[in-house]
Amino acid sequence: MTITATTGHGERPAQPAAAGVSLGAGLLRRDDLLATLDRVTTRKVTVISAPPGSGKTSLLRMWSDWSSMDHQVAFVSVARDQQNAQEFWLAVQDAIRRSAATTDSPSRTTPPSFDGDAMVDTIISELAEQARVVVLIIDDLHELRSTEALNQLDQLLASLPTSAHVVLSSRRDPPIRLHHLRLADEVAEIRADDLGFSERETRELLAGSAIGLSDAGVSALYQRTEGWAAGLRLAVISLSGHPDPERFVAEFSGTDRAIGEYLMAEMLERQPIEVQSMLLRTSLVDRMNGDLADLLVGRSGSERMLLALEEANAFVVSLDAQRTWFRYHHLLADFLRLELRRTLADEVPDLHRRAARWFTDRGDVIEAVRHLVAAGDWPDAARLVADHSFRWVLDGQVGTIRTVLQAFPEGASADHPDLALAHAAAELNQGRLEEAATQLTLAEAHLQSAPSTRHQRLTVAIASLRLALARRSGQFSEVIEQVELLDASMADPSTEPTAMGSELRAVALLNLGIVETWSGRFDDADRHLTEGAALAQAIGRPYLELGCRAHQGFPSRLVSLADARERAHQAVALAERHGWDDRPMLAPALGTLANLTIWAGEFDEGEQWLRRAWEAGEAHIDPAVAVLVHTATGMLNSGRGQNQLALGDFEAAAQAQSRLSGVHVFAAGITAWRAATQARLGMPDEARASLAGFSAERERTTGISNARAVISLAEGDPTAALDVLREVQNAAPADGCPPYVLEEAHLLSGIAHLRLGDRNAAAAAAEAALATAEPDRLILPFVMTDAAELLDTIPRHATAHGALLADIRDVLRGAPAPSTDRERLSRAEELSPSELRVLRYLPTNLTRPQIAQELSVSVNTVNTHIRNIYTKLAARDRSTAVQRARELRLLSAGRLGISRH
Amino acid sequence: MATPPDLYTIRIGGRLGVTTLSAFPTMACDLRRGETVLTGPLDRSALFGVLAQIEALGLELLEVRQSKAR
Repeated sequence: MTITATTGHGERPAQPAAAGVSLGAGLLRRDDLLATLDRVTTRKVTVISAPPGSGKTSLLRMWSDWSSMDHQVAFVSVARDQQNAQEFWLAVQDAIRRSAATTDSPSRTTPPSFDGDAMVDTIISELAEQARVVVLIIDDLHELRSTEALNQLDQLLASLPTSAHVVLSSRRDPPIRLHHLRLADEVAEIRADDLGFSERETRELLAGSAIGLSDAGVSALYQRTEGWAAGLRLAVISLSGHPDPERFVAEFSGTDRAIGEYLMAEMLERQPIEVQSMLLRTSLVDRMNGDLADLLVGRSGSERMLLALEEANAFVVSLDAQRTWFRYHHLLADFLRLELRRTLADEVPDLHRRAARWFTDRGDVIEAVRHLVAAGDWPDAARLVADHSFRWVLDGQVGTIRTVLQAFPEGASADHPDLALAHAAAELNQGRLEEAATQLTLAEAHLQSAPSTRHQRLTVAIASLRLALARRSGQFSEVIEQVELLDASMADPSTEPTAMGSELRAVALLNLGIVETWSGRFDDADRHLTEGAALAQAIGRPYLELGCRAHQGFPSRLVSLADARERAHQAVALAERHGWDDRPMLAPALGTLANLTIWAGEFDEGEQWLRRAWEAGEAHIDPAVAVLVHTATGMLNSGRGQNQLALGDFEAAAQAQSRLSGVHVFAAGITAWRAATQARLGMPDEARASLAGFSAERERTTGISNARAVISLAEGDPTAALDVLREVQNAAPADGCPPYVLEEAHLLSGIAHLRLGDRNAAAAAAEAALATAEPDRLILPFVMTDAAELLDTIPRHATAHGALLADIRDVLRGAPAPSTDRERLSRAEELSPSELRVLRYLPTNLTRPQIAQELSVSVNTVNTHIRNIYTKLAARDRSTAVQRARELRLLSAGRLGISRH
Repeated sequence: MATPPDLYTIRIGGRLGVTTLSAFPTMACDLRRGETVLTGPLDRSALFGVLAQIEALGLELLEVRQSKAR
């Protein structure tokens, strides 16, 4: 480990020795404090709050290295100025996993998506399932600047499993709501006074560091430092090998200079000149390895010096088990930076530039930008951002763009033309289309002055953002025009593809396919999206591939409902493989799945997909997606007889449509459903007003005629309804009337016949409706038209669609979905304990080998369990398994023995 | 920033050396016996910036006093 590396691990004796044991220069095993920690960590939460240099970290490290074996310690140090909730929680999770494993667990790839609340739930369940009591130490909590993460930490503390304890260490009282825990006497506190060294400990520390000092000298040192841990440690470093320790103490006691600065200056001065040089010149990076330090210092040998300083406990801390990465104690780092700026001010910009180059070479653009900005090289930093923006967009890492933009001082970011591109991408992602357009215009204007080496790259990036912007604004025809401008071959398959770059071509195909989808040109869309997905896959852009596949789940003349559903599931599976299953890009697939399951009458499953579609967030900013998801929500509410709610949903869908310049494929359907819902709610006038403006030609195939029939029925005029419906029922197949419209027409005419007392005609219409519904199991229209009475007209055994009829009756009675839910439920009870254990990992991002490692079993075993889980839950893939498990509450708190709010 | 920032006087334990004083370039300093007095006009964010510096450098904050702008 770090500080106690030379002393090794061991179990602390049950009876702490009376005397402290020195751990080398400046460190003392402080048994009283360790015993205090042993005692207080039986409470849920321990807060250690004291100024820098009070010895918080040393104490916690020591305690975690030496604490007894009946609990495991997970240690997290919050990174300096941590603003990223995801990074923080991943570090917490890693620490918990590492504390459990005997060997280091493999590093995981960071998923670009992140749901903090879900992460807290995961951490709670992971804490609960550890074999031993876990003490989670979060050190340097004052560095956590993310309000989001702090709120989530609140949540974690409120729902902490009984087998877990948390220690929070901070320079100041953390902004965490602890009063509930305080009332329950579950909070312990350790403050600066508790941490200070006693005179006896001061003496033991000096003795352990082999420093000969008179009793008077020890007293003087203790008085002067007031037991401040960092002061004593610094003094010990200076005193080690000092020719005249008494004189040092006398001078120190005699001066009235500020203690920390005096001692740090002393310590620095006593280092060899090359160590001083290294300390100063490396102080401006937050962390370093030997290579980076050598580059900054301009000579080799830094790693050796860093290791020696760490071993001497000289305020250098290694960050990894291999001891290749280091950082300075924050107190020392801050002092060194001041000293560097004071004594070597001229070098500072160049040092930042060197660091930036090093980070650029390693692909750490964020860190590189930070250093370029610190060097005052804003234009270079902006160029770096511009050159990487397109790649980040392609890989779905818009969050990275936002982080990088934050590194720029406010004035610089507003008007530097090279940043316009990045700003445009960030604004577009947030749905602020006007701002995005302004930034893109800026970027275009600046393009003229860009050197030819960058011209091509920037042109491509701008073109692709223009396409996405036009698509987002719903300017469907404009997108198609722009694509044609870029490449005539794209819109016209007869021409040969030009040499447009593969990435831009894939982006163009994606945007083209999306607008064709929303415009209802499904055949063209399918061709372009299939090509786009294949191309994206070939050039290694999985995020683009996902974008294409997420829009391919729409049924059409060429794609059956079952195939559409299968495609949408494949898109979800692809997203899961990359940990992107809550990305906005997936929302269309989730919305489609919701739609398709609701059409099949599987309302509960449909509701789950809807929830995920809303959570993905895209529906909040992209009107075309909003149309889809609002409509599906309306369908669900309508299917559940909640017409008032459904009306609100259809109105919201219409509202979203009005934000598009083009006409959404759902537009007419929304109008029809909205009018029908109004009619059912007894508002025929409003319903007619909704339908105003449609031409008779389009009415038949879009459901508008059906809505007129619903209005007539509501007004008590079944004959008028039959007149309108006849045209729909007689429409030639070539008119392309979708099955659901035809089916609804049959049902409505059946109801009209029934009102007119013609049971035979009603039964014939009902049978026709069943025949139309059968291929795709379109159950929803029966529910929306409330066809229970109509179905009773069909004589027993006189239908060719008995099974479907039984399912429909179940749904009409409000029984759970017609699929095999009840069967699934009883089988699910049979999940074995080991299967349940594996099941709990399915919502995580862990791969099967990683799950195997977590559970200490072989991959084959995990595969067998997962296969059984899928069978028992009738799941097709990981996402549906999780879905089913959630519905069946197999992942819920009770099963895991977790207490939650 | 229409209104001029208020004048603050901040007392710190111990005499500060040039290195630490360089962390407070906008403040006038007065080294007294066993303490340092920093004085300067600060708006609220500047004030908290100075306090954060004092904390980060492990200095002993004795007193913060505000007087009206000059």
